[in-house]
Amino acid sequence: MQARPVHRFSFAERAIHWLAALSFLYAALSGLALWSHHLYWLATVLGGGVVTRWGHPWGGIVFALLVGAMFLIWARQMRLDSDDRTWLRHAKKYAVHDEAGLPAAGRFNGGQKMLFWGQVVLTLLLLASGVVLWFPEWMPRNFRLAAILIHPIVAAGSIGMIILHIYMGTAAVPGSFRAMIRGWVTPGWATSHHPKWYREISKN
Amino acid sequence: MHTVAKLVDTSTCIGCKACEVACQEWNDQDFTISGFDGSYQTLPDLEHNFWNLIKFNELSREDGQMTWNMAKYQCMHCVDPGCLRSCPAPGAIFQQKDGIVDFNHDLCIGCGYCITGCPFDVPRLSPNSKKVYKCSLCSDRTAVGLEPACIKACPTNCLTFGTREDLIQIANARAGELKQDGHAGAGIYNPEGVGGTHVLYVLKDAADPESYGLPKDPKIPWTVSLWQGPVKWLGNLLFTGGILGAFFHYLRYGPKPTGDEEGSDA
Repeated sequence: MQARPVHRFSFAERAIHWLAALSFLYAALSGLALWSHHLYWLATVLGGGVVTRWGHPWGGIVFALLVGAMFLIWARQMRLDSDDRTWLRHAKKYAVHDEAGLPAAGRFNGGQKMLFWGQVVLTLLLLASGVVLWFPEWMPRNFRLAAILIHPIVAAGSIGMIILHIYMGTAAVPGSFRAMIRGWVTPGWATSHHPKWYREISKN
Repeated sequence: MHTVAKLVDTSTCIGCKACEVACQEWNDQDFTISGFDGSYQTLPDLEHNFWNLIKFNELSREDGQMTWNMAKYQCMHCVDPGCLRSCPAPGAIFQQKDGIVDFNHDLCIGCGYCITGCPFDVPRLSPNSKKVYKCSLCSDRTAVGLEPACIKACPTNCLTFGTREDLIQIANARAGELKQDGHAGAGIYNPEGVGGTHVLYVLKDAADPESYGLPKDPKIPWTVSLWQGPVKWLGNLLFTGGILGAFFHYLRYGPKPTGDEEGSDA
């Protein structure tokens, strides 16, 4: 049974997503190198401490710009509706595959929308605190004292969310990785995971 | 092992700046041309290439005359150094067994976290090398049994080099002398908030170190301690918990149905 593929992500969406993923990976690994002395070997792998200190802010800037691009293309579709709120209240059921009572998801489900808005907010915080840490010689002492605490806390939260996102996008939800790589899903996948979206695009 | 220290008896400092010159000479520093700001002080503050500054703190006396609370300012070589605690590059800042806190510039990555972590605002980032510099307590001299350059140059014995234990005794004795001479508030400056320092001061007015340009109760900033302590542990817990949680979720619940299984209606 070879079902006709359903177009899910455009080339532009996939390109922006994967550029963001690469820049996040670099910013996260170079950041973790400076997070703990036990992870400093990451800095050695990435070209040494001086290169890491130079490159980490630039990696972060690239990631922030790509989050901005994702905001432009996705913000409208990421608005939470009442179904999403109900979905989020019962997210535990989604996690254990007991989806009988869950509202049908649109193009993005409540969890994906929370990831999106979470990343938007955390990236803004990382950008603001990161710029302070980037140029310590120009920054007032109180700004630096705040940034030195805020930046690692927010970064840890962001990395935690992305660990979950990577698991969901690969092992946990088969078909979703192909959707982001090749851009299409099967009709069965669309019906099963995003029925409201599939109904809408089938109408046209 | 005895730790070393430097004692600054501010009551005998004459502001000759011989220590500043000796520091520049020994450490082979270029000199920063500074503007004139109406003070006898060489520079307004420490610089990346100027590690030892006599602060000419101007005060008005009770009789209306002006007086100076002169105090040598440099790295305090804290027992619990905030710079070391905040440094992300292993080995770039280190604390010797003799108590000297020194930088290894080959390992310094120039992030400037030590500048933020220092409660005395001492380390300075060089705009040229993008690395951070400060007084090394002449570790290259003390390692071969010489006293630091500033102490070698001091003409009034305001500066003394020795073991920290000895110098605390000498400092207390000197504070006692000053008290007998009518300076009732004399005492030593060895701030507890950073575990004590390897640069000790005798002050005529120990209750008001700020009049000498020294912070009253220096502590490692709480944001630095919080980040280096609980935040790191919670973060590590989050990372390992996230990865293990995902793994065990997969073991327990497996993947979502794809919607294309046998018997599904799509």
